Amino acid sequence: MSMLEIKNLHVTVGGKEILKGIDLDIRAGEVHAIMGPNGSGKSTLSYVLAGRDGYVVTEGSVRFKGKDLLEMSVDERAAAGIFLAFQYPLEIPGVTTMTFLKTALNAQRKARGEEELDAVRFLKLVREKSKPLNVSDEMLKRSLNVGYSGGEKKRAEVLQMSLLEPALAVLDETDSGLDIDALKTVAEGVNALRSPERAMVVITHYQRLLDYIVPDVVHVLSRGRIVKTGGKDLALELEKSGYAEYGADAA
Amino acid sequence: MAAVKETVETVGEIEKYKYGFFTDIESEKAPIGLTEDTVRFISAKKDEPEWLLKWRLAAFRRWQTMTEPTWAKVTYPPIDFQDAYYYSAPKQTAKLDSLDQVDPKLLETYEKLGIPLTEQKMLAGVAVDAVFDSVSVVTTFKEKLAEAGVIFCPMSEAVRNHPELVKKYLGSVVPTSDNFYATLNSAVFSEGSFVYIPEGVRCPMELSTYFRINEKQTGQFERTLIIADKGSYVSYLEGCTAPQRDENQLHAAVVELIAHDDAEIKYSTVQNWFPGDEEGKGGVYNFVTKRGDCRGANSKISWTQVETGSAITWKYPSCILRGDNSRGEFYSIAISNGRQQVDSGTKMIHLGRNTTSRIISKGISAGRSSNTYRGLVSVHRKAENVRNFTQCDSLLIGDRCSAHTVPYIETKNPTAILEHEATTSKISDDQLFYCMQRGIGEEEAVALIVNGFCRDVLQQLPMEFAVEAQKLVGISLEGSVG
Amino acid sequence: MSEKETQYFIEAYEEKRAALPGAGGWLARRREAAMDAFREAGLPHRRLEDWKYTDLRQTLEKAAFAPAPAHEGAVVLPGRRSASAFASIDRHVLIFVNGRYRADLSQVAHLPKGVELHALADVVHEQWAKDLVERRFDDARQAENIVDLNTALMSDGACLRVRKGVKLDKPLHLLFVAQDAGASHTRNLVLLESEAEATIIETHVGEVASFTDIVTDIAIGEGARLNHVKLQDEASDAVHLATMRARLAADAKLSSFALTLGCGVSRGQSFVLFSGEGAEANIDGAYALRNKQHADQFCVIDHAVPACTSHTLFKGALDGKSEGVFQGKVIVRPHAQKSDGRQMTHALLLSRDAAMNAKPELEIYADDVQCAHGSTVGELSKDSIFYLRSRGIPEDEARRLLVLAFLDEALDLTPHDLARDALKLLVSEWFGEVAL
Repeated sequence: MSMLEIKNLHVTVGGKEILKGIDLDIRAGEVHAIMGPNGSGKSTLSYVLAGRDGYVVTEGSVRFKGKDLLEMSVDERAAAGIFLAFQYPLEIPGVTTMTFLKTALNAQRKARGEEELDAVRFLKLVREKSKPLNVSDEMLKRSLNVGYSGGEKKRAEVLQMSLLEPALAVLDETDSGLDIDALKTVAEGVNALRSPERAMVVITHYQRLLDYIVPDVVHVLSRGRIVKTGGKDLALELEKSGYAEYGADAA
Repeated sequence: MAAVKETVETVGEIEKYKYGFFTDIESEKAPIGLTEDTVRFISAKKDEPEWLLKWRLAAFRRWQTMTEPTWAKVTYPPIDFQDAYYYSAPKQTAKLDSLDQVDPKLLETYEKLGIPLTEQKMLAGVAVDAVFDSVSVVTTFKEKLAEAGVIFCPMSEAVRNHPELVKKYLGSVVPTSDNFYATLNSAVFSEGSFVYIPEGVRCPMELSTYFRINEKQTGQFERTLIIADKGSYVSYLEGCTAPQRDENQLHAAVVELIAHDDAEIKYSTVQNWFPGDEEGKGGVYNFVTKRGDCRGANSKISWTQVETGSAITWKYPSCILRGDNSRGEFYSIAISNGRQQVDSGTKMIHLGRNTTSRIISKGISAGRSSNTYRGLVSVHRKAENVRNFTQCDSLLIGDRCSAHTVPYIETKNPTAILEHEATTSKISDDQLFYCMQRGIGEEEAVALIVNGFCRDVLQQLPMEFAVEAQKLVGISLEGSVG
Repeated sequence: MSEKETQYFIEAYEEKRAALPGAGGWLARRREAAMDAFREAGLPHRRLEDWKYTDLRQTLEKAAFAPAPAHEGAVVLPGRRSASAFASIDRHVLIFVNGRYRADLSQVAHLPKGVELHALADVVHEQWAKDLVERRFDDARQAENIVDLNTALMSDGACLRVRKGVKLDKPLHLLFVAQDAGASHTRNLVLLESEAEATIIETHVGEVASFTDIVTDIAIGEGARLNHVKLQDEASDAVHLATMRARLAADAKLSSFALTLGCGVSRGQSFVLFSGEGAEANIDGAYALRNKQHADQFCVIDHAVPACTSHTLFKGALDGKSEGVFQGKVIVRPHAQKSDGRQMTHALLLSRDAAMNAKPELEIYADDVQCAHGSTVGELSKDSIFYLRSRGIPEDEARRLLVLAFLDEALDLTPHDLARDALKLLVSEWFGEVAL
């Protein structure tokens, strides 16, 4: 069964149509890459899935695990298993990363009718998850994303993902602003989460990230439409030829 | 951490103002209105000595010549000072020897408020003085405190048992002529707490007074006096609630703190008087004068306040930094929602050498409320090497509220270094979206972000209060988004 | 009210009203109303919140000023450098002596087409002048009310109108010289139509006990731009009261910088009102005071519409028994979202007896705004002095360098390059006269 089923999705932002009929079918266990030039609608797609205000669906449907995703609020979607790794993670002064993680995890567990974790069990879990990502205790005590470097922010995003164990993870330009070592650390963290129950959507402009997170399917998004779909080799082709043939202004 | 979890749990579960109940209890009141006879009535009820009656009457006569201050950014219909009761006491058998004799309904009331007065249920390490309308109901842990030489009792009892101390210190920080409301308080104050910490004593537990206005149309005028003798330390907590009523209730308290050489007083308030309903009907008018005198060298007074209640808050806990090397602190969270109006801040008067002060004010406005920080930092000519740091941050939630910052900075000494910063911000949609994408509901997300905004101040509260304060932050802002 | 300090003004009005510009017209009626209001209110005093730190009533009680006489014939410019500070700038010069325009001394040649420059008496019959004079801001009434005195008694002033899209070719320099003791009341009117541009430089000098009461009313049209540089260096027994009221249409820009060096008591009031989105105002200044000088900067910025930007920075060095005052207010009206208002004031106290009072206010009624203010007061950092000395710089020189560096941050905001250099030179010379 499909985990995520997008049919003829049209989306406008500020009155302007950005997505012009997207069809996408993602099954559990699959990793899909969505590539495309700047302004093609990649980030719009990720925000629509997460339910951000201001992104108006004018046509089409999105079903997640058989349910109408568009009917759900942002936090309901999160509790149902949708996770968006932000291209630019937000800073929240005064709220420590640790507090934030615990609040989020327990809010989701509660929404799913699961038992909330107490402080001891939570701490053990966080330590276990942060170690492979090189997230230190000191970092966890700092305000969420405040003063984090680009790499630290992305690692914190992956830590949140590994802690919240979503069914569908959407990674929006996770490679932007990372050097190669940071990229590897992040990719390893993501790969560790690949499982038959979980699907991933990796949004990226460059092929580089896909050397480390190898997709099952690659889609090319251009001017609000998926113009080509293929295997992982498609990404390599794009690397060589650029987006020019897809009508992009810049590659 | 645990506290935040609790905040998150509590928000959404608790009704808007959970302290809004009224306890049906028989009470004894002074006749309505305010005349010299009212003052005499109160004084007689309390069996006060002649000097105190004279003191009250002088204040009353002075008050009659004064007019209400109008400089604060608050508006309200004229108050009819003759249409209120100035004394109300629960009727009970004369003098209480133990808790068993307290009216069970009263004990129940405090249980409901989350303030257990029966000693076996009490929070370890917190002694409580509970003031119900105009009188002190019970003071706990008296014996243990007495062992340390600490005096913690209702003001009326202090007048009887320690007249020399009361006479020496009462009105020495806030004189009877200070301002309209303080003068009114001097004339009609009925109860309050008295604390004396002897030389060199570190008070063995937190002291706490819980104020509750129960009767309708009743003003509450407590007078609190805390004296920390040389080298002593005390941490004092004050909590306030009132029933939900349509009419406005007046609360005009005076708090005086005196810190002698090397002494330290930490005074924390969680003020949650009924704020009125969403349309601004009812609620407490909170006109309070709080002032600390760092009389001795190396003394320290620290005010921490979490102001979430009251229809109108008019309150400027201040420090007179008289002793050399003394230090004043003011940490404040003021939350206004609905139609609440807050005009609050502090004064740091630097008189002594090497005196330092720190002001951290976090104002959060939501709904149609108005939230003003008003503060003065003043450095006198002879005060060498003064340091002040002031940070005033305002957070606005929604576009119908307002936030104002009115700081006065005055210095006559070049060695002073004074820094003042103020910012305004809002909870950004992006921050909310981010939290919600992680599965946190909208109101929880607001509470989380606001708690983060207030963190510097929340950290100053004693543990027992910090939890309650964090919950309050969430509850006070319910319904403020969307 | 018949207090001594107001009496001179009331008498002057009774005596001169028939000879003042606009007699018999709307302005005469306006003057009458203004005089009534002034009579009623009297001079502002420190019990009024807006005048808390500057008691004009007391100031003018100590030194009552009769009207300054009309000055004919030659004028000797004061010896001060300030009088000729801008001499090297290619500019149009209008000279006012004792508050009256002296065409014979001025140099205004070949104004571009679309630039109209007149004395007050020549424009009072025009609608634009009437609009400017009658407009009130009402953001700080206690402060603005004193404009009534000027309205009643204003006798002259420079009135500049720049037509749509026209650029004034070179700066217009208004040089005000107080030649004889006494009071003068001047009103400048400035109207920049849309997309117009102009730079105005204003100098006030004198070596007599003068009372300068000057009001400048400004309207800046859509996309228009006004640069304003002001230098005040009047005598130590002079009193200076200046009010600037500026209204900015959409995308208009005002950059104003004022340097205060002179006067016993001075007060500069700025009122800025944004009436169109995307406008920007920079109201900045510096002051260097000594002896018993007192200078008050009063600045109110009203973000009445969304998406405007205002920045204010005042820095001052206070020596001797001088006293500095900064009172500022940024107002963001309901729905004026995306407002950006910043107000900073920093003062250095150089002597034991100097004093500083600051009251920077924010009044915010909209949530999506960026507003901040900051204020610091202190003395020169001992560490910095030590560091410079350890590098071989003598203490006096070290102090001078540090104070100049401190004031430079503000002086850098002067919106005209040559004028900025001239002001910097003046400030550096200021230290020649003061032992730090």
